[in-house]
Amino acid sequence: MLNVDLLINGLIIGLFYALMAVGLTLIFGILKVVNFAHGEFYMVGTYTYTLVALKLGVDPWLALPLAAGAGAIVGSLTERMLMRPLYSGYTSWGMLKDEYAVVVTFALSLLLVNLVDKVIGPYSQRGPALIDITRMSLGPIMLSGQKLIATAVAAATIVALALFIRYSFWGRQIQAVAQNRLGASLAGIDTAKASNIVFTLSGALAGLSGALLAPIINASPDVGSFPAIKSYVIVVLGGMGSIVGSIAASLTLGVLEGFGAVYISYDYRDTFGLVILMLVLLVRPQGLFGEKGRDV
Amino acid sequence: MKTRHRLKFLGAALIAAASFSAFAADPIKIGISITQSPPGSVVQGTQVKDAVEIVKDMVNKQGGVLGRQIELVYEDNQGIPEKGRAATEKLITVGKVVAVTGSHQSSVCLAEIEVAKRYNIPYVNTNCWADSVRLKGYPQVFNAPIYSTRVAESVVEALLKLGTKRAVMFCENTDYGIGAAKAIGEAIKAKAPGIDYKYETLDRAGKDFTPAILPLRANPPDVVLLAMLPPPAYIVMNQLYEQGVAPSAKTWLFDTAGLADYPDFWANVKEAGKYMLNFALYHPQMNLPKLATDIGQTYTQRTKNDPNRLIYQAADSLLFIIDAIKQAKSTDADAMIKAMAAMKFEGTRGTFTIAKDAGPKFQQMVDIPSVIYQITEVGQSTGKTLLIEGPGVPLSTAKLMKPAK
Repeated sequence: MLNVDLLINGLIIGLFYALMAVGLTLIFGILKVVNFAHGEFYMVGTYTYTLVALKLGVDPWLALPLAAGAGAIVGSLTERMLMRPLYSGYTSWGMLKDEYAVVVTFALSLLLVNLVDKVIGPYSQRGPALIDITRMSLGPIMLSGQKLIATAVAAATIVALALFIRYSFWGRQIQAVAQNRLGASLAGIDTAKASNIVFTLSGALAGLSGALLAPIINASPDVGSFPAIKSYVIVVLGGMGSIVGSIAASLTLGVLEGFGAVYISYDYRDTFGLVILMLVLLVRPQGLFGEKGRDV
Repeated sequence: MKTRHRLKFLGAALIAAASFSAFAADPIKIGISITQSPPGSVVQGTQVKDAVEIVKDMVNKQGGVLGRQIELVYEDNQGIPEKGRAATEKLITVGKVVAVTGSHQSSVCLAEIEVAKRYNIPYVNTNCWADSVRLKGYPQVFNAPIYSTRVAESVVEALLKLGTKRAVMFCENTDYGIGAAKAIGEAIKAKAPGIDYKYETLDRAGKDFTPAILPLRANPPDVVLLAMLPPPAYIVMNQLYEQGVAPSAKTWLFDTAGLADYPDFWANVKEAGKYMLNFALYHPQMNLPKLATDIGQTYTQRTKNDPNRLIYQAADSLLFIIDAIKQAKSTDADAMIKAMAAMKFEGTRGTFTIAKDAGPKFQQMVDIPSVIYQITEVGQSTGKTLLIEGPGVPLSTAKLMKPAK
């Protein structure tokens, strides 16, 4: 029974990881840079949901899309104001691209954490649940109504995202830019707009994720550090830029962490992901689902 | 000529008077090292700052100390030991403070006391419970909060009274958490060897503790003990409740860190807090001196929060330094340290002497009053909780309540 519990709980946690990580994967896929402020997009969603619902009395179901919207706005503004110099004609920046992205997103991360700490305050707050069932039995497992809904919404969102990227007009353009930015540009695709859509989507996903987990992982200024660290491991493990890889890596990580914590030691729980990452990279340096090279 | 001489004399007199008055008005600087930004507990840092500001204003309003005003110099240690070390160094060398206090996380205290020792500056620990801070035996370090061994003794007495056969502790991976878990293990070995006890260390930065909790569902202990601070402590509580482990008809939830008097406690836990037993250092039913009432009221006026033990500990830390300056009639470090070691100190929590015994009580204010109470309703204020042990109230578990399932 414990194993069933661990497996289901691991898959649920894995789904939450996936929702956080796919946004980071999208950004890497299209810009080839790591967004160190991704955890703070999550934090913006957590706080928007919690404050809008608790302080303004907005229904939590309505606060959920508002949180995703807040994340989307922050994502879009980040791209427009901070990331645009990466590909807007400063060719001499080529060599410094990675450094610029690291420094600017890291600075944004610190700015947002400290801004929330000073403006909203250091006290943590638990977001209101979408459903008022504090615990329930579902076959062999016990969970809260919030966890069940969050799992369902996370799964539906990931499926919708995959369909959007694969079949929609803009999804195909994003794929094209991810494969070859210059080639896509020559084919008439507005690469700047595609980048903005990716950042907006990434912010929205992180914001939604933060809102869904606000009643489980309470809002606090540094709440984004946990999803961010997990997301970096997942993105590399799954193959940088691969959405399918991120989802597979998230689920694997969620399950392995749970079993490892019980059967090896809880003390090393966060180490398992890194050990798996090293082992996978030794065999497949491009990650589980990553491609060896795309540039023509 | 005569007029020129007079003017010269007047000028010299004015300069002398100005420098004398500047010297006389020079404030006494006291260093406050607290967490003002993440990842440390900004919640605790804010409470310490609120309390020492109240004491500073109170003392300055009464004319200061030795005719000089008190000035507090703050440094942010972020709850990180190496930052604490740098903060203390800066306070002493750049801020020219006469003493340092405020620290509220054991790992940070352990780093800071090394600097205080090196510069021979009095250091008053505000909220570091870990025995290891006292075990160093540094003469410059004095301790205002309770210590882990004392907490453990009290908790183990309660465990015995509860008829505990098996207890599991979740502690955070800090000097405080691991120290508390080990101290309880030692106390059990000494006083209640029949209790089967183990502890599990949880990451303070963690957010999902379910894998540590799930094994307890199959084999629930009699008591789940907590030695964790917010915010992870709240997440553990909620997940223990969600999994039906504790509080339950079979298992008590027993917090040993004084969680329930944090201002954000009820904003983070709901049903998970009901029926919880709390070891704490403050309860409104405690008979505290008028000084505590005055400081508590000012704190409530300024922050809209109820006072708690950290407010009083921080107030006592600063008051202790101020009393030492008064008794030493000087801000000289050696004179202050000598005065502190011999002091009978009247603070907000009562009258204390400084223990001389080597070990976990070294240079500890004794005896810090403590209580154990049970929360019986969601959202309950501390004053309405069920007091089961405290000053003048012998330990009794007869009235304790348990959930139906």
